[in-house]
Amino acid sequence: MDIRLTVNGSQHALSVPPETTLLGLLRNQLGHTGAKLGCDVGDCGACTVIVDGKPVNACLMLAGQADGREILTIEGLASREQLHPIQRAFEEHASLQCGFCGPGVILSAKALLDENPDPSRQEVRDGLAGNLCRCTGYTKMIDAVLHAARVMRNETDHSGAKVEG
Amino acid sequence: MNKGATVEEKLHIAEQGLASENPLRVYGDTLPAVFPLELLVPEVRQQTPAVGQRVTRPDGRMHGLGQTRYIDDMAFPGMLYAKIKRAGVASARIVSIDTSEAEAMPGVVAVLTGRDVPVNSFGPSFQDQPVLADERVFHAGDGVAAVAAVSEQIAEEALTKIKVEYEALPAVFDPLEAIKDDAPKVHATESNIYARKVIIKGDVEQALAASDHVFEGQYRTQMVEHVPIEPHASIALWDANGRVTVYSSLGRITLGRADLARTLRMPINRIRLVGTIVGGNFGGKNEITQEPVLALLSKKTGRPVKGVYTRSEEFIASTTRHPFIMDFKTGVNREGRILARKIRLVLDGGAYCSWSETTLGKAAILSVGPYRIDNVHVEACVVYTNKTMTGAMRGFGAPQVCFAYESQMDEIASALGIDPLEIRLRNAFETGSISPTGQVLDSVVVKESLLQAARRFGWKEGGA
Repeated sequence: MDIRLTVNGSQHALSVPPETTLLGLLRNQLGHTGAKLGCDVGDCGACTVIVDGKPVNACLMLAGQADGREILTIEGLASREQLHPIQRAFEEHASLQCGFCGPGVILSAKALLDENPDPSRQEVRDGLAGNLCRCTGYTKMIDAVLHAARVMRNETDHSGAKVEG
Repeated sequence: MNKGATVEEKLHIAEQGLASENPLRVYGDTLPAVFPLELLVPEVRQQTPAVGQRVTRPDGRMHGLGQTRYIDDMAFPGMLYAKIKRAGVASARIVSIDTSEAEAMPGVVAVLTGRDVPVNSFGPSFQDQPVLADERVFHAGDGVAAVAAVSEQIAEEALTKIKVEYEALPAVFDPLEAIKDDAPKVHATESNIYARKVIIKGDVEQALAASDHVFEGQYRTQMVEHVPIEPHASIALWDANGRVTVYSSLGRITLGRADLARTLRMPINRIRLVGTIVGGNFGGKNEITQEPVLALLSKKTGRPVKGVYTRSEEFIASTTRHPFIMDFKTGVNREGRILARKIRLVLDGGAYCSWSETTLGKAAILSVGPYRIDNVHVEACVVYTNKTMTGAMRGFGAPQVCFAYESQMDEIASALGIDPLEIRLRNAFETGSISPTGQVLDSVVVKESLLQAARRFGWKEGGA
């Protein structure tokens, strides 16, 4: 079937077999391998991408359902010059160990902060509830999201120092 | 640190250190370019300069950018996809395998069965595990045939076209049933017990008889799967010179090469195993699984072959943590000092040995707990059952026995009306204590750790 969609700002027109998932399209057709196949049943969240502003398990969404929509993957988050504040906070808090769940967690965090720029710790937990991580125990991830939120609200810089004025 | 200091003094020194500006740096602000020689043998419990430094992972940025390449993120021109058919029956003789319909499917390039494997057995201790079951199925997750096809969907569908005829055989699932003489034998051995460990120190029966109180309890733990978010994944490329390269999520490269050399019956120098960044291991990726299958499919087709386990295969066809059945009999005096401990451990080993011997040894040694006990008798064994094989997982048996001895410690404390922290302090190892296997222990901080933890979370105040 023929699909038109926007991925990380670029428009694509593709033809894929009807059973193709959005995850399969992104990984195999477009080469965006940042989203991972972890469980294939929507439990682990490793395949999370943002579709029209909402975090979605790309393994459960058919490519056909993404027709006409705007997709953001982990590859579209940083610019060539600059990491996204969430990515930078994850790096500086050493929030990722094996890293396999990382792209999904970061995109869930991005969707959360877009909707709620000043979340409580519990709201961050809820926002990441669809993403499983077996290495970290989540604490450093939650710390990083809260820190990134402060940076994005201009309350602090990356070192944690208070922003004047 | 003063070696003669009391626990309280040491804690005071440690806490002062934590409160200071440079808490954990013993060398001050500037590290010497060349460490003085005497520092090469650090004093017991001295902090290394690395502890307390703020560090980030060198690969952290790539992870966050989604640029890290795991196995499933790699592809080679002409690559095929492999899928393995699982038996679905726990114990059976394979009467016949008919792959003709699968082979005739458009898009299927090759099919493999156990008979195509040059040496169809492997394992770190005993080579009791087939690459693909050929004559006998030992547990439901056994692979019986494999397919390489141009897409995953075609490979998956081809599995349904493979017809396997089984003759059901008696099976045993409960380890306590499996150790009985008349139990069905998982492998054609005299007993299902395939490894044993006994530790004897002092005279446990006499000490139990002399104890004021004797406590008995059975503790059980369940089977646990590692569930790495990245499933087992490998790609094999057999080249025209007769060499094979395997890109794999395997954690033990050298062992993997040896297992490949054995199963493929070829010199190890013709096998190249490339380990990449692993998306979670926890002990579950410590030995080969599908790699010989992928290598042989690549040899058969002349094309690269990728295999990625499904989440279901992770649960049924990869190793798990051993379930334990633990019987503890402990004799104590009125003050709560442990005089004797008699332990029986039965480890459910599942269908194959894998890392059971390591797990058994470590569990037996640690089962007594970090306590000074003069009279010990431990008898531990691991048994075959027709279940998913068990193997290495974080701690090799240590967490299971910890659950038993600490549970019983609380029961003893409660029965004798002694504070649970106090009873542990009365019994805990000290520097110079001798372990059940005769090791003299140096650098022991059990009591200090307990006291510090208790203080930090307000044990005496009853808070948590």
